[in-house]
Amino acid sequence: MSSNSPVNPRARFNVGDRVRVKELPNLFYSRTQMFVRGVHGTIAARTYEDVVPEDEAWDRQDAVPEQYYIVRFRQKDLWEEYPFDKDTLQTEFPDRWLDPVNN
Amino acid sequence: MPSRSDLRSYYAEGAQLAPVVHQHTDWPYEVSHTRYTAFTIPPHDVGGQADGPVRYEEKEEEQWELNTYVTCEVLGWRGVWNSEERRRLGNNDLGQSLYYGFPYYGRWIWAAARMLVDKKHVSLTELLEKIAEVKARNVQQ
Repeated sequence: MSSNSPVNPRARFNVGDRVRVKELPNLFYSRTQMFVRGVHGTIAARTYEDVVPEDEAWDRQDAVPEQYYIVRFRQKDLWEEYPFDKDTLQTEFPDRWLDPVNN
Repeated sequence: MPSRSDLRSYYAEGAQLAPVVHQHTDWPYEVSHTRYTAFTIPPHDVGGQADGPVRYEEKEEEQWELNTYVTCEVLGWRGVWNSEERRRLGNNDLGQSLYYGFPYYGRWIWAAARMLVDKKHVSLTELLEKIAEVKARNVQQ
């Protein structure tokens, strides 16, 4: 949190950027599904700024809002046996749960 | 005080609710990585888990469900808890057995009660005595 400030929230990504979901351990609470962790996807939209679930779930008054994004994944990247190539799944993350992918 | 036979049935039923790993487990000295990971998945992260077909039912809310809904929303409007605290308590902190075993609004009211005790708005004794009082009143009617 020390690198954040209210006037400059974390907002590193733009629509079309390739990202990879962080692989953090699970403990106590998360809104980041297990099946997306470590998977590559594409930023589909920048949505809003808000505090992260890990802070809001304990009502931390010192939490600083950051950018949220809708990320689009290929279903086949999530489930190897998925039958249709073009199907996608979208879900939402705050900035800190994503890493940039250079390609 | 519950009768001895009631007590026995509570214990028997409770044993049926223990998380099932299809092996007898009681404070093991070693937990495999896979099992540790499975244990620490938040109960509400069910996407991708195997499941059978679910029967679809149309059901109107019952009065206690509406009362629960309003109570929880009012606690939110008054700033006593936020929506993420509600999810943490009602979808995670209650544990897998209650997550799967309680009705939807049963989890909501469990979460509200837990929060009021956690945040010291009511003491646990106060809550228990009130539940007992209401229960006794309903038995009389």
